Amino acid sequence: MIHIDQISKQFISQSGGSIFKRAPQRIVHAVQGLSLDAPNGRITGLLGPNGAGKTTSLRMLAGLFQADTGRIEVDAIDVSQKPREALARMGILGDAHGLYPRLSARENIVYFGRLQGLDEDTAHARVEALAELLDMQRILDRRADGFSQGERMKTALARALVHDPANIVLDEPTNGLDVLATRGLREALRHLRSPEGGAKCIVFSSHIMQEVELLCDHVVLMARGRAVAQGSVPELLELAGESRFEDAFVKLAFGNADQLDEEALA
Amino acid sequence: MSSISPKPLSFFGHFKVVLGKEIIDALRDRRTLLRLLIPAVLMGPLMLAALSGLMASFETQAEKREITVQGLEYAPTLKNYLERQTYTIKAAPADYEAQLRSAKLHEAVLVVGKDFETELRTGERPTLEVVSDSANQRASISARAVQRLLRSFNQERAGLSLALRGVSAELLVPVDVQDRDLASAQARASQITGIVPMFMIMAVLYGALTAALDSTAGERERGSLEPLLMNPSPHFALVLGKWGAVALLGMAVATLSNISFIPAQLLIQSDSLQAMFQFGWSEVLRGLAIQLPLAAGVGALLMAVAVRSKTFKEAQASSTLVMTVMSLSPMLGLFNPGGEAPWYYWVPGLAQNTLMMQMLKGEALSVARVLPSVLACAVMAAVSLWFVTRSMRQAVAR
Repeated sequence: MIHIDQISKQFISQSGGSIFKRAPQRIVHAVQGLSLDAPNGRITGLLGPNGAGKTTSLRMLAGLFQADTGRIEVDAIDVSQKPREALARMGILGDAHGLYPRLSARENIVYFGRLQGLDEDTAHARVEALAELLDMQRILDRRADGFSQGERMKTALARALVHDPANIVLDEPTNGLDVLATRGLREALRHLRSPEGGAKCIVFSSHIMQEVELLCDHVVLMARGRAVAQGSVPELLELAGESRFEDAFVKLAFGNADQLDEEALA
Repeated sequence: MSSISPKPLSFFGHFKVVLGKEIIDALRDRRTLLRLLIPAVLMGPLMLAALSGLMASFETQAEKREITVQGLEYAPTLKNYLERQTYTIKAAPADYEAQLRSAKLHEAVLVVGKDFETELRTGERPTLEVVSDSANQRASISARAVQRLLRSFNQERAGLSLALRGVSAELLVPVDVQDRDLASAQARASQITGIVPMFMIMAVLYGALTAALDSTAGERERGSLEPLLMNPSPHFALVLGKWGAVALLGMAVATLSNISFIPAQLLIQSDSLQAMFQFGWSEVLRGLAIQLPLAAGVGALLMAVAVRSKTFKEAQASSTLVMTVMSLSPMLGLFNPGGEAPWYYWVPGLAQNTLMMQMLKGEALSVARVLPSVLACAVMAAVSLWFVTRSMRQAVAR
């Protein structure tokens, strides 16, 4: 169970400037007052255009940096207070998911399993179980050096899930995957959501509407660092008064933009 | 499937897992490892062998008692003297000047004028030319021997003339000058073997380099640092594990480089150098005691330099400064021989070089001298590792 309460984050970005003139600093509000509830046994989607603040939010959830304001709790553990306890309860596939090219897929996964506190035998058993779930038995003992995009993604996902976490956080996991691999991933996530798969709490970010529409039980629509709408797919369609999800997305994400700008100006 | 229960690892547990993975990872990078290992391990011994070859050729030249002369037929008296000194006389080739210039001829040439004998008899100070080329190192060294020989010829002639006039030859040398060299055989050899510590220090640097860059900047470039930090591991344990692997590799290459000097002694052609350069197992062990702290300190320093870089390439550029300063620090000793100041022992790199030189000279290593270098390396490692931990956290927080 993941509970995000009113988090904000702003960055200072350096712009142009020259050798003699110091560049003026600009404050970028990456996330502004985002709240989100992701209970167990549900796939919660974070949908938004590029630059909406999805990755920043998920990186704060992973404890890579602290939110300026607000709280993040994972299974009632405050991420900023006890980051290591919180991380042990999460499996995170971030936007950076590099593998060690000289290690095999199996070794990559076992390494993280050991760091998560699994003993050698359990870690290897987990590799077998995950390989079956993600259909990656063939690549287990190959070095990650020559992996295709999809093989890399599967290995990174298995690595994130090796300690069988109750909470799964995926940042754009379908990026670069072909149709078949995307379908496979979807199946795997549905299994993990189901009671047989452990009724995991899954948070899934994407900028692809179709993905979110097919997979997510609950969608949080993000634009310009804010949550502009949330609900199930039918609820969002109804809210926007559209029959196609894409139209609803554009209307909700960008339609309010002018309105927001006006608010900001006022 | 969900029946597993991870037990949080201890700090040491995290350290061990990371250390094991980093060692395997570094050893699998065979191509890079070999490319660094070959020069690190072979360069020193090969240089030593080449230098000893040069020395051996000087020695044989001195032993040969040969002299190259042009126009000796005009100087029977000189010829008689040379033969009495048991010198073998060789006629100079016609184009000796060109040959000396192009370093084809390795001996200086003595040129005798046509009127030598008559001028000598009438006391007109005939001229003898010793021709060499100062750019031709071997020829100019042999020129010194020829000059020495001619000086004693002069002395003999002068002595004979004085004796004929009833004057003691000792009047010409009122003072008796004698040389006394205090250097031990090993200290003499250290003029040649002074390059050895430099190669050993380079071996330490090269051994640690790739692993240090790969485990910091490489990790950032691959995008694997972020997932690594999403494990519930204390960041300092991760850094310590990485550093352990880097330091061990530096130490392994240093050990190989030290041991490689033992068979290298068999390649030394010069007998006197071989007698002087004694590098046995006890030198290997003492050398390692000096170099291993350096491997640990430099490994951490290289990691600290590399961790700020986003790519491996950038890290290589910034590590060049460390590599250059460290491997050139022996130069300070070469420019300022014998001028070892107490602060030398506190500067990593320079301290190890100074200590190694002393060991090769056959001086005893005292704890008071070794301890500062160990302490300096320990402080360098501690500060660097703290910096790496801090920078790693910052690197993912943007």
